[in-house]
Amino acid sequence: MKRYILRRLVAMPLLVLGIVTVAFFISHATQGDPLVSILGDRQMDNPEVVAAARARWGLDRSLPVQYFVYVRNLVTGDLGISIRTKQPVTTDLMARLPATLELVIAAMLVGSAVGIALGVLAARFRDRPFDHLSRLFALVGSSLPVFWSGLILLYIFSVKVDWIPGPGRLDARTTPPETVTGFFTIDSLLAGDLGTFAEALHHLALPALVLGWAVMGIISRMVRASMLDVLSQDYVLAARARGARELRVLFHHALRNALIPTLTIIGFSFAYLITGAVLTETIFSWPGIGSYAVNAARNLDYPAIMGVTIIGGLAFLITNLVTDIAYAVADPRIDMQ
Amino acid sequence: MKTAYRLNRRRAMLVAATMLTALGLGGGDAAMAADQPLVIARAFDFNSLDPARGWCDSCQIYLTNVYETLVGLDADNKTLKPRLALSWEANAEQTQYTFKLDPDAVFSDGSPVEAKDVKWSWERLHNVKGGPSFMMDGVKSIEAADAHTLVVTMDAPNSEFLGILTAPYTGVINSDVAMANGASANEDADKTDTAEGWFLANSAGSGPYMLAGYKPDDELRFTANPHFKRSKVGISDVVMKHTKDAVAQAQMLENGSADVAMQIDPDTAKRLPADKVTTDVVASYNFIYVALSPGAKGNKVPLSKDVREAIAMALDYDGIIEFTVGGAGNPQAAPIPNGFPGTADLPMPKQDLAKAKELMAKAGQAGGFEIDAIFPNMNVYGVDLSLMMQKVQQDLAQISVKANLQPVEFSVWRTHISGDGIPLTAVFYAPDYYGSAQYVQYFAMSEGSPWWKRAGGANDSSITNTKEGELLTQALASPESAKEGIYHQIAMEMIGDKIILPVVSPNLVLAHGKSIGGVRYSACCNLPIDEITRQ
Repeated sequence: MKRYILRRLVAMPLLVLGIVTVAFFISHATQGDPLVSILGDRQMDNPEVVAAARARWGLDRSLPVQYFVYVRNLVTGDLGISIRTKQPVTTDLMARLPATLELVIAAMLVGSAVGIALGVLAARFRDRPFDHLSRLFALVGSSLPVFWSGLILLYIFSVKVDWIPGPGRLDARTTPPETVTGFFTIDSLLAGDLGTFAEALHHLALPALVLGWAVMGIISRMVRASMLDVLSQDYVLAARARGARELRVLFHHALRNALIPTLTIIGFSFAYLITGAVLTETIFSWPGIGSYAVNAARNLDYPAIMGVTIIGGLAFLITNLVTDIAYAVADPRIDMQ
Repeated sequence: MKTAYRLNRRRAMLVAATMLTALGLGGGDAAMAADQPLVIARAFDFNSLDPARGWCDSCQIYLTNVYETLVGLDADNKTLKPRLALSWEANAEQTQYTFKLDPDAVFSDGSPVEAKDVKWSWERLHNVKGGPSFMMDGVKSIEAADAHTLVVTMDAPNSEFLGILTAPYTGVINSDVAMANGASANEDADKTDTAEGWFLANSAGSGPYMLAGYKPDDELRFTANPHFKRSKVGISDVVMKHTKDAVAQAQMLENGSADVAMQIDPDTAKRLPADKVTTDVVASYNFIYVALSPGAKGNKVPLSKDVREAIAMALDYDGIIEFTVGGAGNPQAAPIPNGFPGTADLPMPKQDLAKAKELMAKAGQAGGFEIDAIFPNMNVYGVDLSLMMQKVQQDLAQISVKANLQPVEFSVWRTHISGDGIPLTAVFYAPDYYGSAQYVQYFAMSEGSPWWKRAGGANDSSITNTKEGELLTQALASPESAKEGIYHQIAMEMIGDKIILPVVSPNLVLAHGKSIGGVRYSACCNLPIDEITRQ
């Protein structure tokens, strides 16, 4: 397995280079001028100002030269300066990645735990009321647009019943904890500040539920389908015949074998949400990678677009690798050669 | 095995109890203490915190409150008032201005504000060649006569210079501090100034507030400048919280997690509970306009004066205001905002379909034609341009003009408009400061103006209006008392051009918590935060 992992890790830089090359030329081929977002409409008619800005941002060079400069800097870990935020893209990404990871991990925990439980029980109680209810719950979760469910739930739980605070990672009046990991929940605990920890959890709860609900639907349906296959296998019958308790049959014997396709879905969803949780981030004013990506695209902020693309690419590559390893853990018969 | 299970279960219960307790702790909603930070919910559009490079509505708010200008704008949005300059005078030709600075003014580090700082800041503003650098166009020299006297000489008469100085981009920077951190005002500052990153984390102004922290797309924190003595700051700590969605801004006001929001659309504002939130709807100086480009390459028929007038008369202005902002807006006669010099008693546009059809027939276009309408796909000042253009499309259909709507990203629109031109478009304008010359310089059909170029003046000389340029020169050389009449004449000429057709000046909703006072909209500066108080 070590050799397999090593081989995959060695291939990653080449894959990233491929992603970078394609993304660089596609983003620069789009119509539009990124300078309008920093100079304003009026100054775009001033050739002297436009020329100065092009020179400053390296946009006066030919595209191949810009590409080679970008790749050369990338090798040293320099992702450039964002045209929009004026900060190093690495700084921007490092500031936003923990926010996104905190949200996505919480959402995946909620979505996976509830989704797997619902799927297992729906398969066990096939065609009975629980199965129908869980199908309805899954359907609603995966088909409701997140911006709608987010706004409605925010309105109900934050404005009407006042159980949940408003948007943001913390109350705007609270000073965030000193950054260690960038996860407010962890950093507040490290600082020994239980009040801020509670507030961070409180703020995390609703966006994680909204995002987790969307994932939960897919996971529960996948688990149900796999479980139905597995529950009809002889070894399940044998386990029951040996007098194993039903919960042990379901969660120990059947679920472990039904998890393989679900792991793919969980891994894919996790990687997708790293850059794809944009609607949730917008509704809940969550300063993460998704909203950064959208702002970068809208403003043709090339360095930021490239940075997000690299993060997204890496998320998929790493998640795929982890998922493959998880296959082997879940099912030792899988050969990692 | 069983013991381990029990331990795990205990541990799980402990974790759960901690989580529940924690959630409970976070739910407390104590009454807002008077010294709590003020929270402003706002969709950020920051592109820099450097006064010489920032260019956006949020930048106006930040810069106004951190960097003092020499001249301010009073609450009536018309009268100039002293800020760093206690007094000023212009020569009869409006070519030289002398400012006497407040000798007691100090920067946030306690050092005095001197004429050299003003000279340095304005020279840097020009030489950095950023978004607002045009504000120093036409300035021939800036001289510090002594530590508190500044003399500015212009290339040509410019009676609007004092108005320009109300713009927050002209705010004065502590030159010693900025230079020590990479800033330069030299002629090659566009290449050598490296201070923009420093300005993202630090401030060096003399305004009521200092920058306490900035996280792009998240929050900007102000803290009161302890050396600011000009007036009493209402609330010492302020947080601007990035809240992109207007509905989310409204919800934050409603549940008390924000104190002020000024980007809530009128429809949403109507649903805010009056016992928790105060909403003041005020006329703004922003406007949305439809523009025609007779010289655009994509025109299928000539957009003659008659055709342009027919299009102007086909538009249902009241209907557009109702459709886009639910009636919460005003019509506007000329591309100069209502209330600015020269706009009193201008004839408001009206729909007249019979006259429009008559003009189409006169132009030989009774059967109608197709026209490409490319416009930015955005919601600006509460107006969804896509929705608005659908209404325009319906109106034009009544005179058999078929508008092919093509919403695009703003940066793409900008490429089209400065390339082959766009036959029919829609876009917006917000004032940079109080004064009408900026609109004439931008919208008049004077040779070389931005909109003369966009309207295709180089391809179609019939749209050139030399009178507007001549009148502007007169206005810029005139004292305050004579300007109004001249700008009125210019406005009438611009209405006659039928190139820029203002369709709506959307109202602004100033929404704030019940305990908050002193919230007002400023034409130059958006939101003067230091005037806001909590009762």
